[in-house]
Amino acid sequence: MIANLGFAAILIAFAAVIYAAVASLYGAKRGDPRWVESARNAMASTLPLILLACMLIVYLLLTNDFSVEYVWRVTSTEMPAYLKVTALWGGQAGSLLFWNLLLAGFTTAAMLRKWDDQRALMPYAILVGSITQIFFLGLVAFVENPFTPSAVIPPEGQGLNPLLRHPGMIIHPPMLYLGFTGFTIPYTFAMAALIKGRLDDGWIRTTRRWTLVAWLFLSLGLILGGRWAYDVLGWGGYWAWDPVENASFMPWLAGTAFLHSVMIQEKRNMFKVWNIVLVVLTYLLVVYGTFIVRSGVISSVHSFAQSAVGPLFFGFLGIMIVFSVYWLLRRHDQLATANHLQSFLSREAAFLLNNFVFMGVLFATFWGTNYPIISELFTGEKLTVGPPFYNKVNGPLFAALLLLMGVAPLTMWYRSSARRIGMALRWPALAALLLSVALFALGVDSWGALFGFWIVTFSLILTILEFSKGVRARMKRGESPWAAFSNLIGRDRRRYGGYWIHLGVLVMAFGIIGSYFFQQETQIRLQSGESAALGDFEMFFNGVRQFPGPDDLLIKEADLSVFDNGRPVGRVTPRTEFYTRTGQPMTIPGVRSTVGEDFYVIMVNWESATADAATFRIFLNPLINWVWAGGFIFILGTLIAAWPDPVDKKVTAATRARRPAAQPA
Amino acid sequence: MAETTWTTDKGELLKPRSNRMKFVVGGVLIAAAIIFLVVNAMTGNTQLYKTVGEFYAEQSRLAGRDLRVSGWVIGDSIQFTQIDATTSRLEFDIVDDLQNPGQRLHIVAMNEPMPDLLQHEAQAMVEGRSGESGVFHANQGGLFLKCPTRYEEAAQPASS
Repeated sequence: MIANLGFAAILIAFAAVIYAAVASLYGAKRGDPRWVESARNAMASTLPLILLACMLIVYLLLTNDFSVEYVWRVTSTEMPAYLKVTALWGGQAGSLLFWNLLLAGFTTAAMLRKWDDQRALMPYAILVGSITQIFFLGLVAFVENPFTPSAVIPPEGQGLNPLLRHPGMIIHPPMLYLGFTGFTIPYTFAMAALIKGRLDDGWIRTTRRWTLVAWLFLSLGLILGGRWAYDVLGWGGYWAWDPVENASFMPWLAGTAFLHSVMIQEKRNMFKVWNIVLVVLTYLLVVYGTFIVRSGVISSVHSFAQSAVGPLFFGFLGIMIVFSVYWLLRRHDQLATANHLQSFLSREAAFLLNNFVFMGVLFATFWGTNYPIISELFTGEKLTVGPPFYNKVNGPLFAALLLLMGVAPLTMWYRSSARRIGMALRWPALAALLLSVALFALGVDSWGALFGFWIVTFSLILTILEFSKGVRARMKRGESPWAAFSNLIGRDRRRYGGYWIHLGVLVMAFGIIGSYFFQQETQIRLQSGESAALGDFEMFFNGVRQFPGPDDLLIKEADLSVFDNGRPVGRVTPRTEFYTRTGQPMTIPGVRSTVGEDFYVIMVNWESATADAATFRIFLNPLINWVWAGGFIFILGTLIAAWPDPVDKKVTAATRARRPAAQPA
Repeated sequence: MAETTWTTDKGELLKPRSNRMKFVVGGVLIAAAIIFLVVNAMTGNTQLYKTVGEFYAEQSRLAGRDLRVSGWVIGDSIQFTQIDATTSRLEFDIVDDLQNPGQRLHIVAMNEPMPDLLQHEAQAMVEGRSGESGVFHANQGGLFLKCPTRYEEAAQPASS
């Protein structure tokens, strides 16, 4: 009964969104705002309907209704309630429904908030927005229906995949989905502007904050995904250039390029075509990324028919490419601009270079991810590339981006003086060189790492100088240091939020260079009472204890005392959690974490029957915590840049602007 | 804003055509550099990607070459042996089709922890090279098991 109600809600939402597409188009053709309003209302009605469907599936999950197939696939009676709720996105069908909810939420919010600003674009925005929603709702209505009844009602469910029971994994998918679905908003308005032929920067102003919000969530999703891999997957790393990781990284790259190049259009009214291309590309990569993750087409040498959604996604992607390219070509002439780049040493040239490098990373990542398909097409043999390929090609490109991050803010629009920039770079370059020399003297002998540390320190100094210049200028006007700092950021949040994000990336870069170049690992079997050493650390194995955990868990936990240069620094307790019903083990590392490094231990094997002996794999991950700290700074910066302006502030600013005229001093 | 003081209207009058050429050349150079990086990174870093059946069909040609093999894990064959304090051996068999297992490929991975996802019916991708007949030696860090985010739903209910 409840399942039928849920399915009915999906069907009605599907019908409503088709109506929205047709009515908006009809209203636009006839110039009749009543049809457009009706289309908007139909579009907005999908949100409560999809929300209802989601609530019903959550109800079924909470009540262990195994007569619905999705419910027994992702839950079991012993699972705690919060996990049952999150099981909504623990499987294909549920996560697609959840995806629809977020998409409808974004679309509805954008339509309602921007209705008065962008009335002329609205019919087309509704049309484009509803096309995406039609596809995704169609998938849950006809292909991956989460309300499908079970063929046989099992007495107990399978339970959520244990690897997905980690807090990072509970919030990681919603963050990625928010990022992915959020990017449909700039696409929707960009396409609406193209179709309508209104090619000023109205669509950019309308969607700027939406883009930042989508980008924020996508970044958060990527960082949390890395953290989850580090905490749960037990290989001591956080990024492996896996197709699934690349699938979410590629839209992020295109979106990041867009966030930079959009500033050239705002300031100089250039690169209009390029900006639309980037928005379209980001959207297509979102669809493509979803396709890779859900169809398993890349990861598997086996056929693509593993999942029914694969060919459908492929078809949808094709349609959206043709649709986008058609309108781009059709409006190409109107997007021409009279302005040109004048100097290599200008802000706009720096942004352009930034875009080139981002596109380079994107191209290399796309090429590597799709190489199995490309090579099979041209040579008949499937070839793959692994992490060495990505590190080799993207390493230098990331280095170029980090360098630009420091230097580009010193350039001016139109042109800048080479001498002035040179003067500004001299001391930071030297200071960074001193650090590298010092590191070399301390025994760091990897040239790649030394060069990497040089670039990061150089750009870090330059970025900090940007803040200090602004703060000093304000302090000269009599502001206290703290007021100067917060006013500096508060008055131009987009710019200084951006620099703050750069700071986060640079701190992350320290961590990435440290853990990439200097990770150490070893594997050893220890008997109770024996010890093993790695780097400055030594650990003593005190034994393993076995005890039952919550649910159906059986936990085996090793007890290790850790010494840093002979000084006791506490215990680590790597463990294996065994889900007895599904037979799924889960290895949880024990970590001694400091600012400088992580001493990371996993228990590989425990010989309970024979001796009190266990095998451990030990990793020493230098500077790894800088990755997470940098991620935190990064997200904070994005929040600074994206936070909505308070309404009263806007009013004060407006009054202040008027005041000099009204009251001449 | 400070930066606007540096802008100059004269700039607009500079010869745009020669400028354009300059940027086209610059762009081409950057594109060439990126393509060089990609080609350079490809050399020596590509692996053939084979199924178990394909591996056996071309065994002589593939002998000793670094490649990636993919197949489904037979649960009964998984074995972890601790040889001495610093050496361990992980072994398992993979096949192309679990319902109709034909030839099995025996995977051997030295000093490799047992991946959590290594269990019956899991999809494994193994990077390594073939040794003596029917044995495939995995490279260090060369075991990949299918990540749960791929939403595989091949399992059947316990009661059916």
